[in-house]
Amino acid sequence: MGYSYDTIKSLLISKRPEFWQALKQASQDAVSLEEILFLATLRKRADASKDIPPVDGVTSLRIAILGGYSLYPLRELIEQSLFAVGYVSHCYLGAYDNYTSEILDDTSDMVAFKPEVVILLPSQRRHSYQGALTDDRQVIEGHLKKECQQLLALTHTLHEKTKADILLYNFIPPPGHDLGTYRNKTLASPWSYTALLNLELGLNAPSYVQICDVHFMAARMGLLVAQDRRGWFESKQLGSPALLVAMARESARIIAALRQPMKKVLVLDLDNTIWGGVIGDAGLEGIELGDTSPRGEAFKYFQKYVLSLTERGILLAVCSKNDHDKAMEPFEKHPEMVLRSQHIVCFKANWQPKSDNIRAIAQELNLGLESFVFVDDNPAEIEIVRQFLPQVSTISLASDPSDYVGQLEDSHYFEPLVITREDRDRSSQYMRETRYKELQSVATDMDSYLSSLAMQATFSAFTRVDVPRIAQLINKSNQFNLTTKRRSESEVLALLASDQHVTCTIRLSDRFGDHGLISVVIGQIDGDCLHVDTWLMSCRVLKRQVEEEALNELVRLAVRSGCSQVVGHYLPSAKNGMVKSHYQNLGFTTVREDDDGGDYVLHIAGYRPKQTNISIVRSAK
Amino acid sequence: MNQSQIIEKMQTIFDKLFLEPVVLTPELSAKGVEEWDSLMQISIVVAVESLFNIRFKMGEVEATQNVGQFADLIARCLASKAS
Repeated sequence: MGYSYDTIKSLLISKRPEFWQALKQASQDAVSLEEILFLATLRKRADASKDIPPVDGVTSLRIAILGGYSLYPLRELIEQSLFAVGYVSHCYLGAYDNYTSEILDDTSDMVAFKPEVVILLPSQRRHSYQGALTDDRQVIEGHLKKECQQLLALTHTLHEKTKADILLYNFIPPPGHDLGTYRNKTLASPWSYTALLNLELGLNAPSYVQICDVHFMAARMGLLVAQDRRGWFESKQLGSPALLVAMARESARIIAALRQPMKKVLVLDLDNTIWGGVIGDAGLEGIELGDTSPRGEAFKYFQKYVLSLTERGILLAVCSKNDHDKAMEPFEKHPEMVLRSQHIVCFKANWQPKSDNIRAIAQELNLGLESFVFVDDNPAEIEIVRQFLPQVSTISLASDPSDYVGQLEDSHYFEPLVITREDRDRSSQYMRETRYKELQSVATDMDSYLSSLAMQATFSAFTRVDVPRIAQLINKSNQFNLTTKRRSESEVLALLASDQHVTCTIRLSDRFGDHGLISVVIGQIDGDCLHVDTWLMSCRVLKRQVEEEALNELVRLAVRSGCSQVVGHYLPSAKNGMVKSHYQNLGFTTVREDDDGGDYVLHIAGYRPKQTNISIVRSAK
Repeated sequence: MNQSQIIEKMQTIFDKLFLEPVVLTPELSAKGVEEWDSLMQISIVVAVESLFNIRFKMGEVEATQNVGQFADLIARCLASKAS
């Protein structure tokens, strides 16, 4: 794969289009500062000459680099690292230590440049504690918090003016032995102060700020290697050449991660990946797993790490060359297994090629192959997947299981920019959906399928505690939404007291779990008519007969309000085509139907409640 | 290592980092080579330090006028490392 520098040079000199691919590959492989700078020089030369047709499949990006350091040659390293991950950058380079005025000045060239990403390296000198070592902790903490707030306020202003994503570099704790045992006993020591300031910045950073963690990167390579006082005195460098390279790579990676969807599925091999040995040969008692042997312990540790990924919203799937029942046995019966069948959203153990199985998993989960990562200890299986499914990312596990977790940790595939509570629940949601699909394939007809779900719906008039969720559904539901009438929380709240309206929420649960509040109906009483002002439902529960039960409830509420007919309205939007025939399907008579939608009426006299497979609970008002 | 042996080793760095071939002589300096700009100077210093496993003191490299003086500086660094 690798290209020698002589090859790349001759590709450039002979103006061959392969030059770009070779340069990209070499830029990914390059490790030292001088190599990357050299490749940057070649890139600029090829750009300037325009002899070689520009490369396809690259995205252009406007970046600004600002800070309290000399930003050269860091700028070259960042631009080349961006090129290595598919971006051609246009760069605004801030003047040395001029970042505050570049950000605050409305007429600054930086703002006019309209950067999409700003990389900000605040000056460590300006963010060190100047007081005495014996100052009160509260005083130092107060000073530190104020500095943190000021810096984040600066990023806020920057974001307001540019709408750019911001990469904020934090600070390097000094590696000197200075202060000895007292180092950790005062916040005034540069060591403690820097460490706490970095934490404060991270914990308080808003969503548009990504912390580009110099502290972490420097610690990882060794603080003594990262620090470079000579580089500071000579040319105001952030750190050693090795640190500059590492930070450039990290910056480019974060920028790329901000623009690419995150991985969603981890596909696991079984034998010698999540346990030692081959289950088909060794049997349940023979595989290495658990705290009785070092290898068994390492495999168990790997399983724990893999399970922890589900908390970030990563789904787990299995793809193994095995007999299905034998492969499943440890998940059901082995006492040391951390991963259980309920953690696996899709389980493929058979003798088909793994590339076919992974494609099938992607179809079942309805997710793109780009969001898949496949791990296997067998390089041949990795190679097959790489060849046939190049969109799938792969990790070829090392020969020692104690290295497995580190390989995943350093793969960068599972780095969330944010984690929401929804991520944590995603796995169980998908699990439910794949189980429905399994169930659907065994149930012979729709009716017995629905009946096997053991669904229970709870009806309630709007309650105060539900108002945030109701407002959320009212403002977010697009597809199953007859009128797409939006309402604020306070408008929803007002309905609770209105005697001109009837309201209804529906919660649904079944044997696989609780779907929560999934449907909202609002009726407006007008004489003997009940107008359906709002009728919406979460698409998760489509075709589960919830609509029919909602109509039964609506009729009940209409009768209670002294109405003799229910009038439904359909207001078409760009997204609600799926409910165009909603009222006809429910047996309403069409009154009007045109491009602006339709009106439909149901006379309650003679209405026979719809029969469904849902058992109904009505919560007391 | 004497000056010519060091220049011979330095040649490998120049062979790698320069697009147009550069033949190092003691008299050669940055002024005589188009590609040898300030960025290239940074690369050369970093590469030399790593190749010879030495570390220059502040200002030492700037004080050298040509390749010969640069090689002599490397020789002194190597000698002081050995002693």
